[in-house]
Amino acid sequence: MTVAAFGALTIACGLVAPIVGSTPISLSRVFDRAIPFADNVDAQVFFVARLPRVIAAALVGSGLAVAGVVFQALLRNPLASPDTLGVSAGATLGAMIAITFHVDVAVMGITAVPLASFLGSAGALGIVYLLAAARRRGTSSTVLLLAGVALSAFLGALLRLIQIVADFTDTLRNVRWMMGSLDVASYAPIVATLVPMAFAFAVAGSLPRVLDLISMGADAAESRGVDVRRAERIALLSASLSTGAAVSLGGPIPFVGIVVPHIVRLLVGADHRVVLPASALFGASFVIICDLVARTVFGPVELPVGTVTAILGGPFFLWLLFRRLA
Amino acid sequence: MLVVAAVAAAASIALHAQARRVVSIIPATTEMLFAMGAGDRLVAVGSYDRFPPEVEKLPRVGALLDPAVERIIAMRPDLVILYGTQSELRTQLDRAQIPYYAYTHRGLGDITETIRSLGARVGVTAQANAVAGRIEGQLADIRSRVGKSPRSKTLLVFGRERGTLRNIDASGGVGFLHDMLETAGGADVLGDVKQQSVMMTTEMVLARAPDVIIELRYARGDDTDGTDLGEWNALPAVPAVKSHRVFMLRGEEFVVPGPRVAAATERLARLLHPEAFK
Amino acid sequence: MTAGSHVLHAADVAFTYDRRGPRVVDGVTLGVPRGAIVGLLGPNGSGKTTLLRLLSGTVTPLSGRITIDGVAIGSLSRREMARRIAVVPQETHSAFDFSVLEIVLMGRYPHLGAFELEGANDVAIAREALAATGTAALESRRFATLSGGEKQRVVIASALAQSSEILLLDEPTASLDLGFQFDIARLLTRLNRERAVTMVVSTHDLNLAATLCTELVLLKSGRVLAHGPTERVLNAESVRALYGVDADVVRHPRAGHLTVVPLARAD
Repeated sequence: MTVAAFGALTIACGLVAPIVGSTPISLSRVFDRAIPFADNVDAQVFFVARLPRVIAAALVGSGLAVAGVVFQALLRNPLASPDTLGVSAGATLGAMIAITFHVDVAVMGITAVPLASFLGSAGALGIVYLLAAARRRGTSSTVLLLAGVALSAFLGALLRLIQIVADFTDTLRNVRWMMGSLDVASYAPIVATLVPMAFAFAVAGSLPRVLDLISMGADAAESRGVDVRRAERIALLSASLSTGAAVSLGGPIPFVGIVVPHIVRLLVGADHRVVLPASALFGASFVIICDLVARTVFGPVELPVGTVTAILGGPFFLWLLFRRLA
Repeated sequence: MLVVAAVAAAASIALHAQARRVVSIIPATTEMLFAMGAGDRLVAVGSYDRFPPEVEKLPRVGALLDPAVERIIAMRPDLVILYGTQSELRTQLDRAQIPYYAYTHRGLGDITETIRSLGARVGVTAQANAVAGRIEGQLADIRSRVGKSPRSKTLLVFGRERGTLRNIDASGGVGFLHDMLETAGGADVLGDVKQQSVMMTTEMVLARAPDVIIELRYARGDDTDGTDLGEWNALPAVPAVKSHRVFMLRGEEFVVPGPRVAAATERLARLLHPEAFK
Repeated sequence: MTAGSHVLHAADVAFTYDRRGPRVVDGVTLGVPRGAIVGLLGPNGSGKTTLLRLLSGTVTPLSGRITIDGVAIGSLSRREMARRIAVVPQETHSAFDFSVLEIVLMGRYPHLGAFELEGANDVAIAREALAATGTAALESRRFATLSGGEKQRVVIASALAQSSEILLLDEPTASLDLGFQFDIARLLTRLNRERAVTMVVSTHDLNLAATLCTELVLLKSGRVLAHGPTERVLNAESVRALYGVDADVVRHPRAGHLTVVPLARAD
């Protein structure tokens, strides 16, 4: 499959998804200018309930998929994910602090929870980077991995501490946030997420060949002329930024970052110049489809999108693991 | 229902049982005990107990997910009120030979049942019956007031991410909030969804088209003045938004199915049918 | 010989991984003549691999100077270094499922601009490198599915694709069976002769060193014990000094080079 084919799939998903849902709507009514927007239920379902949701799904899906590809190359491990280095945990911690302590600020249209979530992920990134760069020889992938695992564990402990302080209703809201939700209902959070994510993608766009090389080992890459320290720093930055933006928009949606790069590699091979853009596109399609399933399969109630990605992604990931170990 | 009946039977067999050192890890039963004048018999309460203010002086011994078993036993209680689902705790108490009362949380009717049976178990039967009777009377009064009035399709929201319409949690067609709403003269717009809590999305709100939206806020430090209900204006086609019938009610009596439930139901009823209370 | 006539020269180079510990490389001076195959010989822990990493510029020496064609390697960019020196590591593990051609094409990286894609010329060079190592037929195979000998030859092809005049090899035959050892030794000799590739080979296989190398550097505990043409340096005394083993070092009539036969532990 080529990148163009993945692109076509993404466009198809993006066009079909807002039309399909548990509530029947008529496209002609949606676009009927004669009806004032405030009275047009179909238009509101399309433009307020569904379209932002589909766009958010695409952003989150491509953001997590790209982060997954980059982390896997950086850590030289196809089982790595955006969660491995603790960036996701940092985002979750930020969100929980905002929810539990009833933080109620809004900056430029971004509300407290996504803002705190993003800051949390940035904080986690900073800590991992400092821990790993403390060794003057540069960031070796083992050191990075250990730093990330230690940070994840520490942040997990902080999360549990906060849950103790939280009262019953806050705990409910925390749990709800952690299930992930793409029902953004407005375009402001999408625009806010687009800024760091576009930056992360631009940076990641300079990396594909370098990712191929560093995945063969730091010395091997160095001897072929790669500035490995700089490449690792850039990879860490772009993948963490992408993860932080995605998680603060939709919550920690599991398995996308591991499973999508693998499916893509099975279809297009290992060359990152194809894998990176293909994963971005397929990640978007994957989450759009999972969200569509989540909101239609058990009408009138909805499943959390994280449940669907886990149900589809979990067994697949296990299969991959066994295949690799065999 | 069966558990409550069985325990009530066991309690009456015990004949004028008295409990003097009671541990209650459930906010509802803590409130009930105070309401029936047995608050002075409490030696420890749960982590989430907030009412009445007297509970602040009592030691805390955990809640549903994290009961502090050793501390509870160390209190030397003669009755522990716990959730029916806490089988681990029950086993530990059986081993320590400490009697317990298993509480199950269901609908509005179960609240007065529980008050009566708990009262008998603790030994304040007369006061318990009085409290239960008062509640039933108040609820009957509300029912009769709103009886004939037309019922609006109402959405009862008890959680939402601040500043947005995300992660809306609403009451479904089961549970005491639903019963309260129906008693107060509202038609639960999610009445057909047989879940206590429903994760709502904006599409669902548009599809269900409630005439009234009531947001319940609990937190004590929650000093918002209701202006943040403006987020609902993102869905102007919803009848409740169009007719400006989006309201907020603040108070913990909406999350605790205890003795204050009648007062809470009345607040709901006054909002839905102001004319019935003139 | 002065530093000027050497393509690669290390002057009094020292290095340690742990500042408080002993030096892994302790005052090493050596020169690699153009067109030679220099063997770094020594027991495990003698500093061979570290010395190779110093020569390739992967690590920076604590003290001393390393020059390539008279220019200090610290002053060259990594790309420039990669165009002049290629490294064949002891083992190559690929985290992902690259094909043989993809791996060999990675050797073209130092010759490409920032966003430049490999062109027809680069692919031709890669294919030619595969042919030179006898692995042209494996071009579309997954690297991970190859045998040890095939993998090593592909990695050598990748290094050849870098079109560098110097090749550093770290224990190139360590994990290979006799047949592949023989093939690799012959391959390297041929590459050295036909393409004028200067080589530095680290090994502890004395017979390989005798077969392959025109001159030897004997390393023990990070220091140079002896340095010179193979015929002069490889003898019973140096084997005893390096390995503590009494051995016979004789020229084999049919093979045409020295062979080392261990006989007993010394003392």
